[in-house]
Amino acid sequence: MPDIEKIKAEAKRLLQEGVVDVVVAFKAGDTPLHPQPAFFRSPEEIDNLVYGSLCQNNLATFLTRMPKQSKLGMVVRGCENRSVNALVVEGQKLRENLYLIGVPCEGIVDWRKIVNQVGEAVLNVREEADLVMVETRQGQATFNKKELLHESCLRCIHPTPISADILIGEALPEGDPNLARTAVEEFESLPREERFAWFQQEAERCIRCYACREACPMCYCEECFVDHTNPRWTESGATPAGMQAWHIVRAFHQAGRCTSCGACERACPMDIKMTYLTEKLNHDIRSKYNFEAGMDAQTQPPFATVTLDDKNRFTV
Amino acid sequence: MNLILEKQTLPALLRFWQEDHDVYLPQKLGQFSHFMPLQEQTDPLLGEPHNTRIPPKSLFLPMTETLVKYTKYGTYKEVDPEVESRIIFAIRPCDAQAVKLLDTVFEQERYTDPLWVERRNNTITIGLGCHEPCHNGFCTTVGYGPFNKTGLDALLTDLGDSYMVETLTEAGEKCFQHLTPASAQTEALVAEIQLNAYNSMEIAFPTVNLKEKLEQNFNSDYWKEISESCLSCGVCTFLCPTCFCFDIVDETQRYERVRNWDTCMFRVYSLEASGHNPRPTRVERTRQRISHKFVYWIDQVNQIGCTGCGRCVRYCPVGLDIRAMLRQVQQLPLEVSHAV
Repeated sequence: MPDIEKIKAEAKRLLQEGVVDVVVAFKAGDTPLHPQPAFFRSPEEIDNLVYGSLCQNNLATFLTRMPKQSKLGMVVRGCENRSVNALVVEGQKLRENLYLIGVPCEGIVDWRKIVNQVGEAVLNVREEADLVMVETRQGQATFNKKELLHESCLRCIHPTPISADILIGEALPEGDPNLARTAVEEFESLPREERFAWFQQEAERCIRCYACREACPMCYCEECFVDHTNPRWTESGATPAGMQAWHIVRAFHQAGRCTSCGACERACPMDIKMTYLTEKLNHDIRSKYNFEAGMDAQTQPPFATVTLDDKNRFTV
Repeated sequence: MNLILEKQTLPALLRFWQEDHDVYLPQKLGQFSHFMPLQEQTDPLLGEPHNTRIPPKSLFLPMTETLVKYTKYGTYKEVDPEVESRIIFAIRPCDAQAVKLLDTVFEQERYTDPLWVERRNNTITIGLGCHEPCHNGFCTTVGYGPFNKTGLDALLTDLGDSYMVETLTEAGEKCFQHLTPASAQTEALVAEIQLNAYNSMEIAFPTVNLKEKLEQNFNSDYWKEISESCLSCGVCTFLCPTCFCFDIVDETQRYERVRNWDTCMFRVYSLEASGHNPRPTRVERTRQRISHKFVYWIDQVNQIGCTGCGRCVRYCPVGLDIRAMLRQVQQLPLEVSHAV
């Protein structure tokens, strides 16, 4: 776990010296399982800054919600750094208006895994090295952090921020890309009927609250295709067709842009699995185009580029 | 009347009801509980310390439903709800109270929603009180409680191997007519359980002057502060048992006019045809959500439009907690009016 005091010191310096107008990070939540995204505008406020495994959001989602010209500081983990890069590539922010405080990430704890085991009456959560100590009304439970990590974090390839302005803590070793591949291949090896049944079961639990969309840094369209009324692209209701269309098209819009952070799944109130779709696209983009989203702040994703020497596969 | 229902006889009773009714009760769906019809192999999930993920308002106001079917030749036909007689078993008091509140919306003198009324008239609600109130719920704060009886035909109190059933209406009495009456001793025990449950709940925020403070601070920076981390998704409102907004859409490909749940938290909700949006940002939308529950409901029916079920607290993806938001409101200034 990186030294929280060093993160705070750097955040404080940025505000004191006027390097940035606001620092986006986390503060302690109103409930112990849910630290909240927070916006610090004065050095004094930095005392409330927290960092821990329960910080479940991808803070890059707030980048497009802040005024374009503002100078933003942000505490970023590996995936958040890449999301920021991908947004810079897409012209959503000038890199010089950003200051990234990088934190090597040991993975995000999925609060649901705690609640499923000890119930919701959680009074306090403490982290010590690889352990997570949860105090409940009934007593204390200790978990190995690894058991509680969100699936996306278990197969994370780039835990260390790749282009932060400062890195707090030691860089962590890169993850094994085979883990991400294996997850995709396992799903692909299932018979078609089983895959479709899984897709139906997940998609049709949807209540169309669009928490996945709002939690995703890359979903920043002023008007989403589902909100468009003329023409209407999908069925409006929570019908199987409408919900399937939402999940498929949402995933497709992420091809070459998704950084596998898993914020969509963590935001879902219905525990719907979504990363099996985006991971497949990420895998395809990696293997067919040798591209990973957000690895630098210049390269356009494959599906966003058109060049004169593009191959015309339909000609001889 | 107070009766004793042995837990081991419950499956038989559910089957007995099933002869004349569709019986809905909480069952496990994935990692959470959900109201579903009783099936051959149903395993009721009654020991959950808190509520079903989706509130039972969905049994009266489905997420999506067809209102009218039409043809391209200009003829149309309203959809008949065709609701069978239903029993909703083990609904929690906060959710039953919420449905009762929603009656004031859908069963107004001048505007009555026939689908809502049809479903309400054909439904018996049997409540399960909360002897161990859930951690994030705050029903007592908003004037209700873990054994609140409003909107119920009968209320159950868990006694370990049995329930004590309090029948509250004729319909409720009919459901339990063959049971033995509870002894005076049991009744006293139940009263104690209910009181203890009530007393175990902390007051999450003071409600005194809350409405006035919200009204007076309509333009306060407070709204900017609390809405900054809001994602403007629909989790809090869709999972809210008292949120009832819907949108009516013509699904022209299948010639149906449908209504879908909608929410004031979405940008497009208040977007007008001209392009103007009176609630353009998360600031106005968050203010609307809170004010509706704690100001406008009171204006309209003199009751707080929140039953304290705690779902919005539990599932907000950025950890926003309405209890903390309202505690903060109570810190805002209140101008005392000296007008004569």
